[in-house]
Amino acid sequence: MSFQEALNSGKFIVTAEVGPPKGTDIETLRHDIELLKGKVDALNVTDNQSAVMRICSLAICKIVMEHGAEPILQMTCRDRNRIGLQSDLLGADVLGIRNVLCMTGDHVLAGDHKGAKPVYDLESVQLLGAVDSLNNGKDMSGNDLRGGTHFFQGAVVTPEANPLAPQLAKFEKKIRAGARFFQTQAIYDIEKFKDFMEFARKFPVKVLAGFVILKSAGMANFLNKNVPGIRVPEDLIEELKAAGKEKALETGMDIAARHIRRLRDEKICDGIHIMAIGMEDKVPVIMQKAGLL
Amino acid sequence: MIITRKKDRKELLENVRRYKSFFLLGCSECATLCGTGGQEQLDELKGLLESEGRAVAGAFVAKTGCQVLGTKVELKRFKEELGKTDCVIVLSCGAGTQSAVEIFEDKAVYPSNDSMFLGNMTRLQMFDERCSLCGECILDKTGGICPVTACPKGILNGPCGGTKDGHCEVSAEIPCAWVRIYERMEKIGRLEDFKAGTLAAKNWSASVKPRKLTARGVPEKPQASRGGREEKK
Repeated sequence: MSFQEALNSGKFIVTAEVGPPKGTDIETLRHDIELLKGKVDALNVTDNQSAVMRICSLAICKIVMEHGAEPILQMTCRDRNRIGLQSDLLGADVLGIRNVLCMTGDHVLAGDHKGAKPVYDLESVQLLGAVDSLNNGKDMSGNDLRGGTHFFQGAVVTPEANPLAPQLAKFEKKIRAGARFFQTQAIYDIEKFKDFMEFARKFPVKVLAGFVILKSAGMANFLNKNVPGIRVPEDLIEELKAAGKEKALETGMDIAARHIRRLRDEKICDGIHIMAIGMEDKVPVIMQKAGLL
Repeated sequence: MIITRKKDRKELLENVRRYKSFFLLGCSECATLCGTGGQEQLDELKGLLESEGRAVAGAFVAKTGCQVLGTKVELKRFKEELGKTDCVIVLSCGAGTQSAVEIFEDKAVYPSNDSMFLGNMTRLQMFDERCSLCGECILDKTGGICPVTACPKGILNGPCGGTKDGHCEVSAEIPCAWVRIYERMEKIGRLEDFKAGTLAAKNWSASVKPRKLTARGVPEKPQASRGGREEKK
């Protein structure tokens, strides 16, 4: 069953992600793909994540497919203009890539080529529009394509954005531009996420709640201080503190598992997206703890 | 106005090391307001050059340095001084410098400043960039605040995921342009426009360089070529 079919089947979906490495040694990446395939419904492949130059997402999506897993091509607007983006989308289609996640992308100043020219010829809403157009056999300029694309396109949303209202307005624009599924920024406050879902449920889109595993109270504080759109509530930080250094990661995974169970049991959203960021081996552990394996 | 910043003086002296006699040309408009091209800065540079053993044959603050003909006329009375000059240093923006290049066909012309952006003066000698001169104004659709300029990504349909407490991921010093636009459109009762409309990708062909405009006797730009809101079918 494809990712799209699985989402539409009503099954509780799990996606995870792999980050292409910097350099051509992909042994670890292959290992992570092998570890996750068969357990998750699809694997996001990040696009020069944090604006750090790495192997392109497109090539690694193809590798993911070679391993028998289904990729979600992340595409940011930072590094390519509308010609480059559409061209890569056509290329992705002929390689058999079916899922694309459209994002604006971290600014080049976040990465390791700070002097690079940021492109942003399009942004996430317009990129979704471009995908929709290619799916309908036309490019952004209205030219006919000899063969259109077959994408299942998604986008991201930040339920903890502050202020929230402009973010929700953009969420609606993304839906109107053709987004059919959403993966959220990491969430840690289920009550607040429920409020977001109450809004999101008004629209015919699938929502996968984002998870970033908390390794320690220090990490939680770091996220709160530095990462836009992430808010770890105080009681979880206390829980991690109380666990002590040795048990903090275990506790972080327990928290994730507990939240995942709740999302699934109360049918709050359609699935989850786990961003393991280097701890891919923990994804099956969390899934097991949450009763998903 | 055009915001300028003085080049490093060491770099400037190095750039003009081969010349002996100078004419300094300032500008009474933007460069004076920026403190980079008024009488005071001319005197300062004159002092510096003279302390380095160079001659300054003359110095003048042009009314509007980017106005080529006007500046040329103003400079007529400095014929003698200019005759003694082998290098003109221009203390205004890149446009002013290139007026001088056009006026002084056979003289070396050097910029004293770096030209930075089109800016608004918020306080004395404090400037903000608010317009990128993109060639197709969208302020009518964004509550009068330009996201092409105020957002480091220049994005057109709302805040990215990098907004933190109303500020930008690029710097906590930058208020999120789209939060500002949202709040302003709410205040002026146009929030529905913001929510309902999606801005199409910008037509960058309107800013292909070098741009040229003849405003004399030309009718308004036809409506058909304007970028606008793109409604989803």
